[in-house]
Amino acid sequence: MANSVIQLKVGNGGRITHFTDDYIAGKLMNMGVLPGSRLRVVRIAPFNGGYYLKVDGMTIVLRNDEASNIMTTVDGD
Amino acid sequence: MNTVALAGNPNSGKSSIFNQLTGLRQKVANFPGVTVEKKSGKLQLPDGEEVVLVDFPGAYSLYPNSEDERVVLNVLANPNSENFPDAVVYVADVTGLDKHFLLLTQIKDLGLPCVLALNMADTAEQEGIVVDTQRLSEFLQMPVINVSGRTGANMDILKEHISELLRQERKKSADPLYQPGPMEENTLGQVQQLLGIENPYRALLVAHHALKLPYLTSKEKSDVTHICEMEGFNGLRLQIVETMRRFELFTPVLQKAIVKKAEKTTLSDRLDAVLTHPTYAPIIFFGVMFVVFQAMFSWASYPMDWIEMGFGWAAETLKAQLPAGWFTDLLTEGILSGLGGIVVFVPQIAILFLLVTLLEEVGYMSRAVFIFDKIMQQFGLNGRSVVALVSGGACAIPAIMSTRTISNWKERLITILVTPLISCSARIPVYTVLIGFVVPPKRVLGLFNAQGLAFMGLYMMGIVAALGSAWVLKKLLKSSEPSWLMMQLPPYRLPVWRNVGITIWEKTSAFVLGAGKVILVASVILWGLASYGPSAKMEAAKTEATLVAQQKNLDETATGNLVASYEIEASFAGHLGKFIEPVIRPLGFDWKIGIALITSFAAREVFVATMATIYSIGSTDDEGTIHNRLAQAHNPETGEKVYTAATSASLLVFYVFALQCMSTLAVVRRETGTWKWPLVQFGFMGLLAYFGSWIAFQLLS
Repeated sequence: MANSVIQLKVGNGGRITHFTDDYIAGKLMNMGVLPGSRLRVVRIAPFNGGYYLKVDGMTIVLRNDEASNIMTTVDGD
Repeated sequence: MNTVALAGNPNSGKSSIFNQLTGLRQKVANFPGVTVEKKSGKLQLPDGEEVVLVDFPGAYSLYPNSEDERVVLNVLANPNSENFPDAVVYVADVTGLDKHFLLLTQIKDLGLPCVLALNMADTAEQEGIVVDTQRLSEFLQMPVINVSGRTGANMDILKEHISELLRQERKKSADPLYQPGPMEENTLGQVQQLLGIENPYRALLVAHHALKLPYLTSKEKSDVTHICEMEGFNGLRLQIVETMRRFELFTPVLQKAIVKKAEKTTLSDRLDAVLTHPTYAPIIFFGVMFVVFQAMFSWASYPMDWIEMGFGWAAETLKAQLPAGWFTDLLTEGILSGLGGIVVFVPQIAILFLLVTLLEEVGYMSRAVFIFDKIMQQFGLNGRSVVALVSGGACAIPAIMSTRTISNWKERLITILVTPLISCSARIPVYTVLIGFVVPPKRVLGLFNAQGLAFMGLYMMGIVAALGSAWVLKKLLKSSEPSWLMMQLPPYRLPVWRNVGITIWEKTSAFVLGAGKVILVASVILWGLASYGPSAKMEAAKTEATLVAQQKNLDETATGNLVASYEIEASFAGHLGKFIEPVIRPLGFDWKIGIALITSFAAREVFVATMATIYSIGSTDDEGTIHNRLAQAHNPETGEKVYTAATSASLLVFYVFALQCMSTLAVVRRETGTWKWPLVQFGFMGLLAYFGSWIAFQLLS
């Protein structure tokens, strides 16, 4: 089952399966965030302002509406 | 002369390599038609050839996400561009190499001769990364070398390779990595025929970006769009397919070519656990800011004193050496004092740049952007606006220049428009002189100094006004352009001092030369207005002043001061002051304050100097003295004090809000490319100042 990143708990992760928006997908893939990349939610920004993620060893920060377009598997499922 | 491009992802260390290769022989200009900064420099190659090295903005791919990235596409897809390179040095960070290969393979497919420079070879060794450059070189069909922007290692070898690339025959048939699918082939084939493009990948890029490529005519744009429509060319989908395919092709090669230690928690991760902590991060940020401003004010005060003394001495000496006359006066009172007014701010600006550049170099500023993005969005700003608002506390000019990182035009414009509301260092002398009339120097709750609290209150007023105006502007300005946070945080790194030094040098000299010209011209004009007037009236003023001085039995200095103050009333500036008096009466200001308001439109700090001249004090050094003089000033008709609490508070509010700084207007004009926005900004800040002062005066009087 694929889940949106915003459904992951802090500390959890999985592999990216796909993106739900082509426009955002294009931008993320430019940075090397791809289907198949390993993703982990490290922490939430102050004021619930966004996500601090580790993707294949890179640190990526996203707004909530940007992160909601990334679908991942959930480790342990 | 051959052009060599320096390209790479953001945070690849491109600037370090650029600085290593060109040193201070750099020119900063804009890419044609956009406000994206273009740095270029001359480079002497080992075979004696001199080439121009152009530093391209950092980009992730030829499918651009920002104005900066768009420049890379616009130039590389247009062989007729003046910046089109004859060879490309591609800089990649060896610690995350796979992510750097997307743009590299795209540039390669354009048929440009490339050399791959693997940066940070020194850190790679420490982190246990070993790269098989031979294997990469065979795969990419280009030379691959290890370099270090930090230590300058292997720069000679890099230069050799550039020479080599420029000498060799352009190979037409270098195999492209990406093989387009049948539908892309059909489309790009037609585009190739239509526009006479030789390279297939360039034709494909034209198909993708036709509408936004500035060098195509509108007929060409519509023809290409027509081809794409007929072929059912879905740009977004095809971009994703191409990107995936490229990663599939080079990732296995990279996995074989690179030996890495297992990933572990790095020092950056541990620092971020504290510095981006959901609760503590904002508190730590304000602590850091406090230290930055403390350091700026305390370190800068010494060199500022020396500079003031130096200019004072120079003026005295010139006056003593040169024959008295209008030329000497213009030189000493106009030009020298104007120059001094610029140079005196150099220490503060340089120190602020040092500290802000350090925070940027080590990677902290990008964390601040992440921490405050949510709050900034509420006000129509971007997390990236934090950098400008912070710098605005010292000087709005560098702050406004720092907004170039904001890709959304509306967010950037709002940031530019509200930044001057943050109290800058030029307001400090004005606040210091006037605050004593509003708040007595007593203690509140036995702890706080009441005047200190009032000082903080003025700063807060500026911050609230900035955020409030931003909110209003957010409602007024329309934009369909999407706004982004999406960003990669670089690992924390020790600063490269060479980069810090070059940045400070560049930005400080840009301030002195750019803003300096405006201040210089303005101060010469103001000197003229304050020194000259209708000659009959000037003569009468002088005679009267001398008469009064004789009656009062004043000494030579006091007589000179009295004459100066009578003359300024009769001067053109005095007439201007009287002319605007009816407008500023409701704010509690008389014509003398009017002159100060007019003169301080060049720069706020002129207020104290103008007041000193009008109230005939020879020197402004001692703010206690000017404070006493202002306290004794009376209205000659009513006998009331001029500087009541109401007038002073009103004046303070005026200085918090009004945009009295020609240099800021000049910079906003440059950054927005039109006079419209500086005028809008001048207008709304002026209205805010006028009504703010009016309310303050009416409440207190």
